[in-house]
Amino acid sequence: MAATLKGVLQGSLADNVKNSKILVVGAGGIGCEVLKDLVLTGFKTIEVIDLDTIDVSNLNRQFLFRKEHVKKSKSQVARESVLKFNPDVDIKAYHDSVMSPDYDVNFFKQFTLVLNALDNRAARNHVNRMCLAADIPLVESGTAGYLGQVTVIKKGLTECYECQPKPPQKTFPGCTIRNTPSEPIHCVVWAKHLFNQLFGEDDPDQDVSPDTEDPELTAEAGQSALQSEAKTDEIGGIERKSTRVWAMNTGYDPEKLFNKLFRDDIKYLLSMETLWKKRRPPQPLNMTQLPSDTDGNSSAIRDQRQWSVKECANVFSDCLGQLKKELATQGDGGMLVWDKDDETALDFVASVANIRAHIFGIAMKTRFDIKSMAGNIIPAIATTNAIIAGLIIMEAIKILSGKIKSCKTVYLNRVPNDRNRLLVPCTLDPPNPKCYVCAPKPEVTVVVNCTRFKVGALQDKVLKSYLGMVAPDVEIDDGKGTIIISSEEGETEENNDKFLSDFGIRNGTRLKCDDFLQVYSLVVTIAHVEKLEEEKEFEVVGDLSELQPQEEQQQAANGSKPHNGGDKADEKEEEDDLMLIEEEEFEEEQQRMEEETRTTRKRKASSETEPTTKRSKTAEAQAAAGDNDVIEIS
Amino acid sequence: MAETKGSGLDKNNKYDRQLRLWGDHGQSALEAARVCLINATATGTEILKNVILPGIGSFTIVDGHKVRGEDVGNNFFLLADSIGKSRAQVATELLGELNDDVTGNFVEESVETLLESNPDYFSTFSVVVAINLHEKALLQLGGVLWEKNIPLLVCRCYGFIGYLRLAVREHTIVESHPDSALEDLRLDRPFPGLQTFCDSLNMETMTKKEHGHTPWLVLLYKYVQEWKKTHDGQIPKNYKEKNMLKEMIRKGIRQNEEGVPELEENFDEAVTHVNSALVTTRIPSEVQALFDDPCCTNINSESKTFWILCRALHDFVHNEGNGDLPLRGTIPDMTSDSERYIQLQNVYREQAATDMTAIRNRVHALLQSLGRPCGAVSDNEIKTFCRNAAFLRLVRCRSLAEEYGTNTVNKDELNMHLESEEGDDLLFYILLRGVDRFYDEYNRYPGRDNSDVEPDIPKLKTCLTKLLHDWGLSGTVKEDYIHEMCRYGASEVHSIASYMGGVVAQEVIKILTTQFVPINNTYVYNGFLQTSTTVQL
Repeated sequence: MAATLKGVLQGSLADNVKNSKILVVGAGGIGCEVLKDLVLTGFKTIEVIDLDTIDVSNLNRQFLFRKEHVKKSKSQVARESVLKFNPDVDIKAYHDSVMSPDYDVNFFKQFTLVLNALDNRAARNHVNRMCLAADIPLVESGTAGYLGQVTVIKKGLTECYECQPKPPQKTFPGCTIRNTPSEPIHCVVWAKHLFNQLFGEDDPDQDVSPDTEDPELTAEAGQSALQSEAKTDEIGGIERKSTRVWAMNTGYDPEKLFNKLFRDDIKYLLSMETLWKKRRPPQPLNMTQLPSDTDGNSSAIRDQRQWSVKECANVFSDCLGQLKKELATQGDGGMLVWDKDDETALDFVASVANIRAHIFGIAMKTRFDIKSMAGNIIPAIATTNAIIAGLIIMEAIKILSGKIKSCKTVYLNRVPNDRNRLLVPCTLDPPNPKCYVCAPKPEVTVVVNCTRFKVGALQDKVLKSYLGMVAPDVEIDDGKGTIIISSEEGETEENNDKFLSDFGIRNGTRLKCDDFLQVYSLVVTIAHVEKLEEEKEFEVVGDLSELQPQEEQQQAANGSKPHNGGDKADEKEEEDDLMLIEEEEFEEEQQRMEEETRTTRKRKASSETEPTTKRSKTAEAQAAAGDNDVIEIS
Repeated sequence: MAETKGSGLDKNNKYDRQLRLWGDHGQSALEAARVCLINATATGTEILKNVILPGIGSFTIVDGHKVRGEDVGNNFFLLADSIGKSRAQVATELLGELNDDVTGNFVEESVETLLESNPDYFSTFSVVVAINLHEKALLQLGGVLWEKNIPLLVCRCYGFIGYLRLAVREHTIVESHPDSALEDLRLDRPFPGLQTFCDSLNMETMTKKEHGHTPWLVLLYKYVQEWKKTHDGQIPKNYKEKNMLKEMIRKGIRQNEEGVPELEENFDEAVTHVNSALVTTRIPSEVQALFDDPCCTNINSESKTFWILCRALHDFVHNEGNGDLPLRGTIPDMTSDSERYIQLQNVYREQAATDMTAIRNRVHALLQSLGRPCGAVSDNEIKTFCRNAAFLRLVRCRSLAEEYGTNTVNKDELNMHLESEEGDDLLFYILLRGVDRFYDEYNRYPGRDNSDVEPDIPKLKTCLTKLLHDWGLSGTVKEDYIHEMCRYGASEVHSIASYMGGVVAQEVIKILTTQFVPINNTYVYNGFLQTSTTVQL
């Protein structure tokens, strides 16, 4: 090997390569390519971690895996395949989550460089923090279809992965899903929730019955009265009994379930007249009187043909039978986990989503399309991963030659842009001094209603899910050091169901939040409001200085929209929204993203002199693209 | 879609993630393709890997070299114990393991010998990828393939530089997947079905709900008709006129008893769509160029399907189409009750179907006149063609002979890059030509041994001076670039090979699926700066 590189890797660089120790996080599409590239560039000591196992749909690009490896550990098979070709390399594989406490800051400190090849934001956030804590340079990357991106993160020198707020991962208000769907995706989400309600883990956030707490209803006086009447009336039973229990009692009888979900519940929705003043009202369906088959495009294959309502109803019946059997094999208290690659589970969701779409006058979709929406599938091909891996190694080589300042964020376009560039390199931005992760004293403000927001939600939804902590400890900065959340098991569980106000937390209270594993401390200031818009439970505002004056103003004026600071943050987010491309599937992403990203990026890439800064580019992109909820990278 | 064979795996599952990019028909085209690779270097095997994984039909490696230690060091598909064996054979075996559904073949011969003994050998391939060919063999191969209109991709990785050249006489694309395409709505020239439908709706007599759920497309149609009455039958042309139309639309929003305008989302949508939906329907210049092309005007028994379809399209435009392309037949989502939305959708669909039928009849008539069966072009093909009529593209590259010919070299382009102040990626193209000249003279590349680097710099400089002189250019290449090139010593860095393996394979896939527009015609990547440029040479 060294023979071919003697001139190219100058001086001590070849030795640096040989003596360095690299951590590759992820052994999927990018990970496989990166492992190969590392070995063939002369790297000798590599560790790779991935918790995933191999799936058939990986084989079109993850070239270290064969069909006989399906269901085996990605990291272990990747290691074996690489060693088969290059026995003189030291590779260690972990079939594990990188977020496990086993991989603490000391673990990270042993590496020269960390290369991310991940597919989800949570793990990216975590590795970002670990590398900041260990002060190890990180090369971050992602691909989606024909698009890709690589960037370099170094504490104190560059932006970290979390310096610019990411657009929030797409979620839909509960009442849209339960009461007033208007897009196919709403029906798909509802169908997945129904699957979990009937066969899977019970999650109160995934209720599928009509939502009587819809803010639109309470908005009008008199409406609530009308409703409570309806509630106690004929449909009262539905309200009180859980869908699961009811379904089990019927023995998962297809007709009974169908008529409850698609006739009675819809009739109940119709009784909430306010909802339909401006909307097309849904049309209840009766299983025995379904519209006759039309559009008999029977020549196309099942996956890509639009099923008729009748067909959907048949599939629905069949699936109920099969899933009921599957559930029975799990024994008492067993449950099924929805998986896009499980044929029956996908059939169920496809049929249910389409029936519901028909009822609400929403375009129906093929099974192929629904798989994409329900599974959050992002197209993925070998070529893009190979390109991105090549770019990653070039950045790694620059870091090892002590030229980290000449590292770039590189975007890969789908086709050469107007200036004939397939690649758009941008200089790295310095850290954001107000970053809630890498700033010297990170702070954020969390806007909530203290009398309605529970400690458990603060832990799970705010600190873990939104702010990316793994095991937070929270202490009230009240001089007494009251601990409301502890990462030690069993210490504070009883607090989870209490409201923040129960602990005297109110507007202006400061909470000291620590994550021991991430070596990360964050001060959270609570801003109390009565109500947030769009059913939001909380809002995280990064820049305190921007919020406070407005908060005060708002409160002084007794304004009805006290979360103006939140709007401000949203604006900022849009301006700075960086593209973050996950490698494979990731949560709550719409399938149209590929196109949207592409459009935005193309415009962005076309007009500036390069290399240029990301910030001006993204601002331009925003200006050009309007408010497309564009994606992502790093 | 392709049925299960070979691997025993369901191809729909195995290829799921890529089917979402190029569809079943793209996949079928890949599975029918025969790809030839000349020289199984690291770059060569990387390219093949990236087309074998998505499932091309077969590949053939032509390579007369034996495996050397140096090859094993940077090529994943050669093993230490393969040293001394046929590089073509070893690479074919190891690459073959990537996908059971792909057939691998090899020929242990150099391209030079093969061209000598059997010049027709290459005529059966769908595409040929050539790595590290010397000028003479390259031009000879280029000539043979040009003659047969087989696409040739020339690729090379040299130090931190990657180079790609596409040479194809003619490549036609139906599905070019444009980045942003306007909807084909015909509001400026409404077709009869649209007129009848819109005119049948009376805004005045609608209930409140109907009024607020009338699709914006209908609203826009109605307000444009009204506008035309007072503007000589013209649609709003400029910013000011469009703003006036928007004002008209806003005034159409119903008011409640107190005179306060109702919230009518459809009217808001109509206003926001004035700019994007109210465009002049016209034939795009690329499509007009196709109509004017001799291949379209002179259809003969040898004509490719694409040109027969183009001709039918041309004839349609000048007859049934009244100057317009066939209607695409799709409308965007909009606020509407589903009944009228579906009606409107059908109005567009029906017109598109009518247009498609007219074109199909013309295609069949043309085929008959050429003595070919009607089945030669399937209805699906005609449908796809009609739906993409506005996006048809044609790529005609300059030939390698033109690029290398002293009189036909693209002097202006090269001179521009030579004189650019900062220096750019294209300088490395000139340097690559320079090191080839060096090779001709010294039978080795500059800087092959570390000790050669310094002494080779003036030699390479002399080669470059001669080269530029031959081209009639007076500029010079900066010394540090020459130094850099000598330092590379013709090494093949794996990360560059990986990168180019992705780029070239992507072009191969574009060509095989005839989807997306391939690079025309030269692409240079600078791995150290992470920059790249596309030019026509």
